[in-house]
Amino acid sequence: MNLYFNQISAIVWKDFVTELKTRELFSSMFIFALLVILIFIFSINLSIVKASEVGPGVLWVAFLFAGTIGLNRSFMLEKENGCLTGLMLVPADRTAIYFGKLISNFIFLLIMEFFILPLFMIFFNVDLLAHIGSLATVVLLGTLGFCALGTLLSSLSSNLKTREIMLPILLYPLLIPIVIGVVRMTGQILEGIPLSDMMKWIGLTASFDIIYIGVSIMTIDHILEE
Amino acid sequence: MDQDLEKEPDEESTVLIWLTGIVFFAAIAAIFIIVPTEKTEGPIQRIMYLHIPSAWLAFFAFFIVFISSILFLWKKEREWDIYAHASAEIGVVFCSLVLITGPIWAKPIWGTWWVWDARLTSTLILWLIYVAYLMLRSQTDAGSMRARYAAVLGIVGFLNIPFIHFSVLWWRTFHPQPKVISSEGFGKGMDTSMLATLGVSLCAFTLLYFLLMGQRIRLERLKDEVDRLKRQKLYSS
Amino acid sequence: MDNFGFLFAANAFVWGGIIYYVFTLKQRSRNLEKDLELLKETIDKESQ
Repeated sequence: MNLYFNQISAIVWKDFVTELKTRELFSSMFIFALLVILIFIFSINLSIVKASEVGPGVLWVAFLFAGTIGLNRSFMLEKENGCLTGLMLVPADRTAIYFGKLISNFIFLLIMEFFILPLFMIFFNVDLLAHIGSLATVVLLGTLGFCALGTLLSSLSSNLKTREIMLPILLYPLLIPIVIGVVRMTGQILEGIPLSDMMKWIGLTASFDIIYIGVSIMTIDHILEE
Repeated sequence: MDQDLEKEPDEESTVLIWLTGIVFFAAIAAIFIIVPTEKTEGPIQRIMYLHIPSAWLAFFAFFIVFISSILFLWKKEREWDIYAHASAEIGVVFCSLVLITGPIWAKPIWGTWWVWDARLTSTLILWLIYVAYLMLRSQTDAGSMRARYAAVLGIVGFLNIPFIHFSVLWWRTFHPQPKVISSEGFGKGMDTSMLATLGVSLCAFTLLYFLLMGQRIRLERLKDEVDRLKRQKLYSS
Repeated sequence: MDNFGFLFAANAFVWGGIIYYVFTLKQRSRNLEKDLELLKETIDKESQ
């Protein structure tokens, strides 16, 4: 069991070292998310619509798009230098590779979100600090669901010829339930509704996370197979 | 499942063709002649006898994709991959028909082509998932990799259905509920002749599914045979 | 209520769609059968 955790942390550590050296993943995700938010601000008239109504949608679309870039990039790096083959040659369980990639994707996304949220707060003139606890819960649940399914599907799409296109086409329809859930919850949080009033959405998002992590564990062996 | 590819559709499938034909004939007769016109909606309500069976067929087909995908990952037999592929294609065809007949029904009754009604929305998402599934299949070369990837997507996609259902349902509750006219109307406002017609139509579409499956599976086997011979020729020359 | 036009359109789409799909299935299998025939002939010729 200890060995298993060591393997996972080795993969996460490897991703972090690469990222610290190049910094290309974080910068591209951050700038892209920022651009998405800006484009939305230019295309909607903020003096007419309420920021707490459109804001959550814009925020999560930005996270989703930037996250997709991150996912595409993360498996492409593995693919480019034959790293994935190397990883698969290591006598490690395939689920360890999945969890390693899941955790590093999850952490990269959270870092990006951590920097985007203050900007969102300034641009949309909403107060996030008052509800920071419940907002953090929703962001964690939503990002985990995105990464659970995203890591599985990006490990699948990285072997296709048209991987950049196929990842969003495969991923977005499957993510619709969780996107509806987190956008709804974020909107309600901005209106000051406590988290305990939206237990059904939390339940939906949490069970989405659990079920897709479970399915990934069961199917990753069939994807990472040569 | 050993059948000669050269042979024309054998006796079983001839029986199936005739049976499907007869039940379809009965269904059409029931839909257009026997069943009374609904009072409030008028003749347009007769779409229901095609709309609901198409939806049932699509859903059933996607369920078969799910089952075949699991069995493929378990047994690794090409047979299950063929079933999943065939069923997904048929499912997408009938899901498209549902998405076309839905707005045509909605326009005269609700006054708009499209409402973000829970059921219509989930059908659209389902359609997108399985179109992506077919795209994944068409973009990878035949072989074990395509079969494995498609099977994973077939499982992941079907497991998404309950999430789609609840999220879309709760999403709608914040908006004025449109007058839902679909299987919700079961029992109330439907007399026995209507239920019977719907039943016959459901039977006809289910038979059609098996008929189309038979054809589609045969097609896939032919493709395998052609590939095998091509490879044989390549290596022999 | 007069909405026969919509009923007609819906029916045209459903039946047209089903017939079109069956037609493409037939077309594809005919093409494959032709290919198969051709392949078998060439292989037979070569083996002689």
